[in-house]
Amino acid sequence: MFRSGARRNHDAGPAPEALRLVKVTKSYGTADSAVTALDGVTLGLGRGTFTAVMGPSGSGKSTLLQCAAGLDQPDSGIVQVDGTELTGGSEAKLTKFRRGRIGFVFQQYNLLETLTVAQNTVLPLKLAGRRVDRARVREVLTAVGLGDRLGHRPDQLSGGQRQRVAIARALVTDPRVIFADEPTGALDLRSARDVLRLLQQAVRVHGQTVVMVTHDPVAASYADSVLFLADGRLAGRLEAPTADAVAERLAHLGDDVTTEV
Amino acid sequence: MFVLAMRSIRQRPGRFLATLLSAFLGAAIIMTFNSMYDTAGQPGVDSVSAETLYTAAGVVGGYGTLLVFFAVASTLTVNVRQRAAELELLRCSGATPAQLKRMVVGEAAVVALVGSALAIVPAMLGGRALLEVFQDSGQVADSVDHSFGVIALMSGIDITLLAAAGAAFLAMRRAARGHRRPGRGRTFLAYAALAAGAAAVCSTFAFSETDSALMAPPVYGSILLSVGCALLAARLLKGVPVPGGASGWLAVQNLRERSGQLAGILTSLILFTAVSTATLTIQRVESDAVEAAGMVKSVEAKNLETLNFTVVGIIVVFVCVMLVNSLYAATSYRGREFGQQRLAGATPGQVLSVVGTEALVLTVTGVLFGTLAALAGIVPFTMVRGDAVVPGQVIGVWAVVVSIAAVATLGTSLVTARRVLRTPAVQAVAVTA
Repeated sequence: MFRSGARRNHDAGPAPEALRLVKVTKSYGTADSAVTALDGVTLGLGRGTFTAVMGPSGSGKSTLLQCAAGLDQPDSGIVQVDGTELTGGSEAKLTKFRRGRIGFVFQQYNLLETLTVAQNTVLPLKLAGRRVDRARVREVLTAVGLGDRLGHRPDQLSGGQRQRVAIARALVTDPRVIFADEPTGALDLRSARDVLRLLQQAVRVHGQTVVMVTHDPVAASYADSVLFLADGRLAGRLEAPTADAVAERLAHLGDDVTTEV
Repeated sequence: MFVLAMRSIRQRPGRFLATLLSAFLGAAIIMTFNSMYDTAGQPGVDSVSAETLYTAAGVVGGYGTLLVFFAVASTLTVNVRQRAAELELLRCSGATPAQLKRMVVGEAAVVALVGSALAIVPAMLGGRALLEVFQDSGQVADSVDHSFGVIALMSGIDITLLAAAGAAFLAMRRAARGHRRPGRGRTFLAYAALAAGAAAVCSTFAFSETDSALMAPPVYGSILLSVGCALLAARLLKGVPVPGGASGWLAVQNLRERSGQLAGILTSLILFTAVSTATLTIQRVESDAVEAAGMVKSVEAKNLETLNFTVVGIIVVFVCVMLVNSLYAATSYRGREFGQQRLAGATPGQVLSVVGTEALVLTVTGVLFGTLAALAGIVPFTMVRGDAVVPGQVIGVWAVVVSIAAVATLGTSLVTARRVLRTPAVQAVAVTA
């Protein structure tokens, strides 16, 4: 279903490491009132993994995702996506870098209201000037359960359906990493489960790499591993997580940080 | 509610700038021309001078009232639409629809009063300048002094106030009703305007070459035809073909989907092109014909010429204000949408090119239908007045008119979009969510 399509402007094959961050630092504000959002974060995520990033509010989760995805520039450190360093540059340059390498799924869906489901899905391909394979678009949309809703507009869909369109849009370019920012934050339990299963399926069945920021232990339990973040630093890792184990760990995250310091 | 209205004006004066500007310009024009009534009403003014002054005041006064109404209505509609969230919050906090209506109408009334108060001094100077124009061309005796009296002051304030309050009332009512398809009434009006316009244009042939009223039917016919096209504007946009390229594709999808909102902008463009092209061309053909015949213009003809130029001037200024205001508002409101496009993989250049394509399609559609309406008036006039079918004068006039329309539409859209794009995409999506 999510097979690799023809890729333009692309290197030979996927690198073994889908995402690598080396000593990434980012702070906001000026001198006196500066807030450190990321404090020398180093991590590497292998290809075909499903990783959840967790932490309390203000721990730097969103900043981490934005820096890793090239939506924000780190103050120092290196970000590598699919083995290629994400270099500083104009927005246009970064956008071109992201096309085909990175897919997004946001809490607020971010679908364009004026476009239909099918049009929203092909938008990244059109913007990148790539050929639109209609059969494949239909295939991806059918896979997320929206094969009969191609001509609908976002305002005619439920929250869960909109998020599934967003997932189809992220998958259709066949990116090296998919970043999901609180993808279930605005959904009811059932829709949330559907969305998480789709992300899981993309990883397990089709070898995609997914990085998901969330504050929900249940959502995190769908991932292969969980990275904990506190005060801009990595504060532990949990493999094969269960919702209870994640919640337990999260509740004592403050203690860990104090003992570390 | 009135206290709330005053507070919202004091806290965010910037939001009311466009409304204030329309009210100010409107009041200034109405007062300037209505001060001609005051001037003509003074003792010792001869009858020829008085007639000139009365005609000027009457014709432009009527036009002015209509324009003030449309300009204030367009700025207020945008204002109400942008404040949907704030109004919804008030509704949730227990404000009744009537209270909300009173608040918005109250705000509009205060802004209109401030606008007319500011307009008094410019209108006094403008009235003096206008009288001098009439005196220089010999239409009014040099002995007549300018007077700025009760009529100018009261009519200026009253009309602006009424127009603003009425426009606010209608804008609220429209917002409360929500999205609706254009009704049958609108379609009927559109076809009625087209039919009346066609009849007026055809009746040009019933006049003789030297009739002094020859200019009236084609000009009014053109205006009616353009009003008809403008009323059908939303439908014209639905039929725009899809060009190649991602930007063009996205632009046309936007135009088709948002045709209802963009109809206002298209209306301004069509009216502007038709009225200014038709009036100015016909006036120039007439002047050239008189000159070629070696005749001297009568006072009446000169009056008509001055009036034509003034009316076109007023329309140009107003339509430009309306165009720039509604385009600025519409574009600055799209930060979130632009952010979504950028997150989906659009470079800032691609977003700008989408906005540019939209503006270009709007300009071309508006200019095309405006030109057709104008030509429908110009051709019969030149056929009766001279020998040519399409006069040479039309090209120069048309080029100037189209340049103004293109610069206003494209310039406003692109400059605003560039400013909107300065916000990082992630923030743009989050802030206005």
